[in-house]
Amino acid sequence: MTGVLTQITSRQWRIHYTRLILTIVGIALGVAVFFAIQTTNVTLVNALGGTIEKLAGRATLQVTGGDTGFSEDYLKTVRATPGVALSEPVTETMATLAMPEGEKIVVLGLDTTSDLKLYSDMFDEKGLEVKNPLAFTSKADSIAVSRKFADRYGLKDGDKLPLRTQAGTQEFTVRAIFRSAGAGDVFDGNVAVVDVYASQELFGKKGRFDRIDVMNSPNVTVDDLKQRIRAEMPAGITVERPERRSEGLENTVSSMHLGLTVMSFLAFTVCAFLVFNSFAISVNQRWKEIGVLRAIGVTRGGIQRMFLTEAAIVGVVGSIVGVGIGFMLAEAAIGVVLNVSLTVYGAAASPGALEFNYGFAVEAIVAGVVVSLLAAWLPSRAGARLDPIAALHDIETRTSKDVANLPRLAAGVVLLAAGLLLTTFSTPTVGLNIQLFYTLLIQAGMILLLPKFIEWGSRALRPLMNYFFGVEGLIAVETLIKAPRRTASTVGALMIGLAFVYSTGAYIISQKAAIDGELDRSLDVDILVTSSQQLQTTSNHFSAVTAASVMSLPEVAIADTLRISSVNYGGEKVSLLAHDMKSYFAMSPNLLEEGDRQAAESKTAEGKGVLISKNLAYRGNLRMGDTVKINSPTGTLELPVVGMLSYSRSEKGTIFIDKGVFQKYWNDTDVDDILIDLRPGTDPVQFKQRVQAAIGGEQDAFIYTHDEFKKWVDGLIDQFFALFYLQMVIAIFVAALGLVNTMVISVDERRRELGIFRAIGGLRRQVMKMVLLEAVAISLIGLAAGAITGLFNAYFLVHTAARVVAGFSVELIFPYTMVLTAVPFVIVVAVGAAFLPAMKAARTNVVEAVGYE
Amino acid sequence: MENNPIPVIEVKGVRKSYANGAEVCALDDVDLTIGHGQRVAIMGQSGSGKSTLLNLICGLDVPTKGQVLFEGRDLATMSDDDRTRIRRVKMGMIFQTFNLLPTLTGVENVALPLRLNGVALREANEKALAMIEKVGITKRAHHRPDEMSGGERQRIAIARALIFDPPVLLADEPTGNLDSHTGEDILSLLESVHSEFGTTILLVTHNEHAAEHCERRVTLLDGKIVADETDTSRTANVSSV
Ligand SMILES: Nc1ncnc2c1ncn2[C@@H]1O[C@H](COP(=O)(O)OP(=O)(O)O)[C@@H](O)[C@H]1O
Ligand SMILES: [Mg+2]
Repeated sequence: MTGVLTQITSRQWRIHYTRLILTIVGIALGVAVFFAIQTTNVTLVNALGGTIEKLAGRATLQVTGGDTGFSEDYLKTVRATPGVALSEPVTETMATLAMPEGEKIVVLGLDTTSDLKLYSDMFDEKGLEVKNPLAFTSKADSIAVSRKFADRYGLKDGDKLPLRTQAGTQEFTVRAIFRSAGAGDVFDGNVAVVDVYASQELFGKKGRFDRIDVMNSPNVTVDDLKQRIRAEMPAGITVERPERRSEGLENTVSSMHLGLTVMSFLAFTVCAFLVFNSFAISVNQRWKEIGVLRAIGVTRGGIQRMFLTEAAIVGVVGSIVGVGIGFMLAEAAIGVVLNVSLTVYGAAASPGALEFNYGFAVEAIVAGVVVSLLAAWLPSRAGARLDPIAALHDIETRTSKDVANLPRLAAGVVLLAAGLLLTTFSTPTVGLNIQLFYTLLIQAGMILLLPKFIEWGSRALRPLMNYFFGVEGLIAVETLIKAPRRTASTVGALMIGLAFVYSTGAYIISQKAAIDGELDRSLDVDILVTSSQQLQTTSNHFSAVTAASVMSLPEVAIADTLRISSVNYGGEKVSLLAHDMKSYFAMSPNLLEEGDRQAAESKTAEGKGVLISKNLAYRGNLRMGDTVKINSPTGTLELPVVGMLSYSRSEKGTIFIDKGVFQKYWNDTDVDDILIDLRPGTDPVQFKQRVQAAIGGEQDAFIYTHDEFKKWVDGLIDQFFALFYLQMVIAIFVAALGLVNTMVISVDERRRELGIFRAIGGLRRQVMKMVLLEAVAISLIGLAAGAITGLFNAYFLVHTAARVVAGFSVELIFPYTMVLTAVPFVIVVAVGAAFLPAMKAARTNVVEAVGYE
Repeated sequence: MENNPIPVIEVKGVRKSYANGAEVCALDDVDLTIGHGQRVAIMGQSGSGKSTLLNLICGLDVPTKGQVLFEGRDLATMSDDDRTRIRRVKMGMIFQTFNLLPTLTGVENVALPLRLNGVALREANEKALAMIEKVGITKRAHHRPDEMSGGERQRIAIARALIFDPPVLLADEPTGNLDSHTGEDILSLLESVHSEFGTTILLVTHNEHAAEHCERRVTLLDGKIVADETDTSRTANVSSV
């Protein structure tokens, strides 16, 4: 029997192939977004991890000390530890080529007098080309580059290679070329090696190493050796297996991943709507067929199986297509993701080839099929429960009666209210999974209320449509009022899609406004000079000398230096900002949100207290006066919290200490930013040139006025949300697709109605206008519903998600202008989406349509 | 009225064939002239071409060969819009399956042709209500079709067909879906319409009894007219109106 029913279904496909294709595309898009996000994420994490592991060479343990590195004295300690077979000091600097392209290159400082057994991959005899090993070590300007890099730039032995360093542009001489393997293969071969002691000088790392790579001897386990070295080191120094370090990076980019996961969840929601829509219509269209089948003895189960089999087949096909599209999407997204990872998190990775992960592919396909089955479940059940007698009756009885009934409305209101109340009043400790459930309540409530909402929306549009478009407009909205269920799933798809756009937009705007306010309070300076355009950087710091030369310019009224690094706090990478606290408070007097200004200033300046960001206080459950434990490379600091401020640099939290404390415990006098208040009457533009001159124009330096800096931060936020913008585009696309789907279906389903309309004297033009206006009305109502749901979602995002993920407390700003500017856009999309269906409607063969059953 | 020199409908040598797969000839060389105010019953077995003929007359379809003239003008040479406007204003159509728009109420269904013609909502509704009153079903005016019986739906359909006071009424088996009693009511309604407005009526039916309401009887068989009889006594009856 299943065979016969399948045959009937396939006959349907041949008749309604547009609907079939749209359903498949709908599933494909949901699956594509899911698969793309999984693939991008795993590629990013692998790239990040792979880079660390490659750079580690054959090391089984790595000794690291955060962004600033640690004293070179620890090398002796490590080497004296029994069980250490090999150990190599390493500096690692992300440098810029002093060439117009300004490409980045990672410069490894290695002990070139040793035989570098740990890095044998890149330095094996066959791969290494070095004319004069002695000259390499004896001359400080020696540099070795990878084969790939040499080929790309046409470099050979003895050629010059200019790099920007802390001391300005330095000319290096290529004296060796190594194989592009192992550490020599990261960053697409943009790797160079210099002597470690030369690099200390060149890159402002005097007396410090970034890493010590260690290999255990066979008679001791890695874990034992780890314990032994650990025991010799202060708390601020980490001893880890390279693999474990890469896991830490995963945590670093976790909030980006979380956002993306929420997105794929949404994509599936929209996809489910499309499938639901399509099957609801299919059941509606096959009303009579179902009646006949039931009458001749097909069971309810048989009917339901017929639809579910169709859903499964469509789901499999759509999912397979989706995996293909997803892989292409991932290809497009990976560059953006890597860029964000570098700029925002300071985590660099070389873009390896995108990996096609069969596990994810299967997962995505299963998810696609499950979503499509779930979405088809209700319509198929409705089909199965159809009363055969009613089904065999005429078209006029086909209108749905159970629209917007009271229990449904009540349930909608209850769910919506529950979701909103829980979002507002629930304690944050319940965890994100439960909180995500609140948004589900909100969405579910809105979906239940949709038919009513469509009715209200149509009624509100009715006079407008009548005024502007006459009877066709009126009939278009009347169709909506009379048959809200037909349009409910499309309005739903639009609502979800647009709600996503609006809530993301609202979130971005709110976040920007919050940061804007923060910057006004906590960075109330005239001029900001920064050494890097990344939020976190392991290279490109100003030396203390350079900083002093800028600060001693006569136009400078007050200046503060800022050193940006990070510490491990509670297992997470928390930003550590070292300010000259006296100057900092002098320039930004309204800095604090909690704590007494005077007391905080003197305590921090004396090194007897720290300021923390509010989000750290929230995440770490810290109050004023609590002690914060900070592990430095030279020992642990325990300081009380003497002030709190809103500061969104890091979603993990920020700690502010005085630069004196930093220099003492971290042995680092470098400066990342110089904050300057100018004397009255100074022209900022001229001053910027003076700074440029003082720095020497050779080292990278970016000079911003307060407003320019704010703009730059804005741009950074945009970059962070770049993928979300991409997703917004996808969401709009999916919503438009939903609209096309509905209009095709609507025209298909109303073929007979349109035929009657034509038969009794409706012109082709009038039919077309009516269909187009219906699409416009649907999209306007979808827009309104989307704006409302978006408002609720945005409320959830700022109130709960931002708080839970990052501890940020952001005030909600809703993008009303964005909603309004969307109106003409949505109308254009609606008309575009409905154009072909409208043409088709206008061309309806009246004789066939009227006789159509 | 019968003095009007131009017949309202002229079918001249019309052939209609459908060519999907094997060629089906639905009408073959049909000639038919219908004068103003006539009531013509078109009879014949199922598949003999009755509906096809009606569709050609109302311009929903075009003949493969020959001409269909409405008030002297060849429908085939008109634009689709012009044909549609003729259907809207000059021809009322009644179907076996009623063909009301399910989402609209009775009055809205009746008002629809008016509104398509640009009549304002309120005025259209007033006229529609007046017409509904004439067909005697005011109490159902604000119900949707699914809340009406077959007879009530057909009355609404007739009201819709009459809203422009058209010279021609085309009815394709209007009683086919109704029980004989209700069918009789509908036929007498058509009869009173005819006597009140002098409307030309083409009534497709295979019900002998229904055909008795018409003075002329055209019989089709396999797409050809095999009989065309006029009951002169009844014609006289009409002209006395
Ligand atoms: N669209 C069509 N395609 C092919 N054949 C058709 C079509 N419409 C009608 N026919 C055929 O034309 C003949 C006349 O049909 P019709 O006018 O509907 O008959 P009646 O109304 O007298 O029952 C029938 O044989 C029918 O099968
Ligand atoms: Mg027929």
